[in-house]
Amino acid sequence: MIVRQFELVDFRNYVQASLSLTDHITAVVGDNGQGKTNLVEAIGWMATMSSFRGAPNEALVRVGTDQAIVRAHVEHEDGRMLLIECEINRSGRNRVLVNKQRLQRSRDLLGVLRVSVFAPDDLNLIKGGPGIRRDFLDETLVALRPKYDTDLRDLDRIVRQRNVLLKQVGGRLSADVAFTLDVWDSKLAATGEVIGTARAELLRDLVPLVSAAYRDLVDVDVRIDMVYDPVWRRTGLAVALADNRSDDVRRQLSLIGPHRDEIDIALAAMPARTHASQGEQRSLALAIKLAAHRLVTDRIGSPPLLVLDDVLSELDPRRAAALLQHLPAGQVVLTSADVLPPDAGAATVLRIVRGTVVS
Amino acid sequence: MAAVYAQAVQTLIDELGRLPGIGPKSAQRITFHLLKLPTEDAERLANAIITAKARVRFCEQCFNVSEDELCSICADPRRDQTVLCVVEEARDIIAVERTGEFRGRYHVLMGAISPIDGVGPEQLKIRELLRRLGSDTVQEIILCTNPNVEGEATAMYLARLIKPLGLTVSRIASGLPVGGDLEYADELTLGRALEGRRIVD
Repeated sequence: MIVRQFELVDFRNYVQASLSLTDHITAVVGDNGQGKTNLVEAIGWMATMSSFRGAPNEALVRVGTDQAIVRAHVEHEDGRMLLIECEINRSGRNRVLVNKQRLQRSRDLLGVLRVSVFAPDDLNLIKGGPGIRRDFLDETLVALRPKYDTDLRDLDRIVRQRNVLLKQVGGRLSADVAFTLDVWDSKLAATGEVIGTARAELLRDLVPLVSAAYRDLVDVDVRIDMVYDPVWRRTGLAVALADNRSDDVRRQLSLIGPHRDEIDIALAAMPARTHASQGEQRSLALAIKLAAHRLVTDRIGSPPLLVLDDVLSELDPRRAAALLQHLPAGQVVLTSADVLPPDAGAATVLRIVRGTVVS
Repeated sequence: MAAVYAQAVQTLIDELGRLPGIGPKSAQRITFHLLKLPTEDAERLANAIITAKARVRFCEQCFNVSEDELCSICADPRRDQTVLCVVEEARDIIAVERTGEFRGRYHVLMGAISPIDGVGPEQLKIRELLRRLGSDTVQEIILCTNPNVEGEATAMYLARLIKPLGLTVSRIASGLPVGGDLEYADELTLGRALEGRRIVD
């Protein structure tokens, strides 16, 4: 899959912009605050239908307008051209059209266009809370198997319903309510097991790739562990929910399940969050993202579009060079506020000034 | 914001805007359409609403909409008395009836279990359902609730409640639309259809 052309209308600070991407590296340069990240945010939105910056949809629509449009001309492996058009509405539903045909369910777009985004915030994969690591695994799983998105949304809905029920119970469980809670527990257990198994299997395949990617970047052989071993997976979620019920009822909250899981990351057998240096954490985060990118490339058979948003400036020159040298084949969009390193190998350099592409 | 329209016009827009599926712009469009109508047409619509509201009530047995104590389906002696199809809303009956495949009777729950919306089993017509099952004519229950989180939870709740009574309980299948191409089926539907596959005789 190759994204040939990309257009935005009323997206963030862009009134209208159109850019052609090359087969390999396209560099986007410009001073801070001109709209480089906004541009790649729009590309990322088409892959996940959400902002990688975590911004709500209304924040993506240009001030004073009601609707942003993001458009991509995509060439498929078999030579077919796809025109993907997304209308992001300030209020109300978003609309997605593929070759001018409206998708009945907008979320069917997931899996059509795959994008891996590397950004300075990726450091939070190591330093941030468990939710960031869960989201990373889940997003990778959606890229591999779009149906997983439905499991995630079901999980979210079930947990919210179960939490409201626990609040309504107010700490005292009657036989009638226990019968209803049993039903939600069964639903949570069924969906939770699917998600738990998918995450565990993903990590099993991902960890060797992370070690290899880290070695590529820092040229040191060091042991990396990423462990996903929630207590509930040892007994099964159904049993764990039953065992933990009195706690859930007392705290009026669903305390166990995939929505609370942690992924422990260790570098040289020490917890990376507390023991690794800032530089090591940055390289490790980058290695994890690179590994996921390679895994999706292998499984799908073609590389996702790779976005490196202001990543080079965060690395020391040696590691930046190592990253560029080990970039997987495929399309790359690279943004930078600085002058590009000479070995960046960008075929096209686009300059952004105040929301317009000037060259 | 200052009132743009005369009070009566704004009231009509507001009332229409409270209807499901009608946003502020549609409400405005319908209002101006109604204002252009001849008086007798507008009165016919108003009367239709008032008459329907006055005459239509819920069937005492199955909670379908009805003009009598019993709806036309419950009152029809030719309907199969041994099978009961359980649906969330009365409008779901129309969907099932259109298939022409079902000759039994219905039971409308008037919703699905959803704590977020303040709906628990006691807000649904479940007590009434159990009372109907107490009579010995019903032998099979088909759970025809929506294939979403709340509908599935409601179906599971009912199955657990009813199975111990010794009745046959089934759940409608979810799968592929008939007459469509496999190629065009979305992954979710096709995935469900694979899960619910059957042995070919």
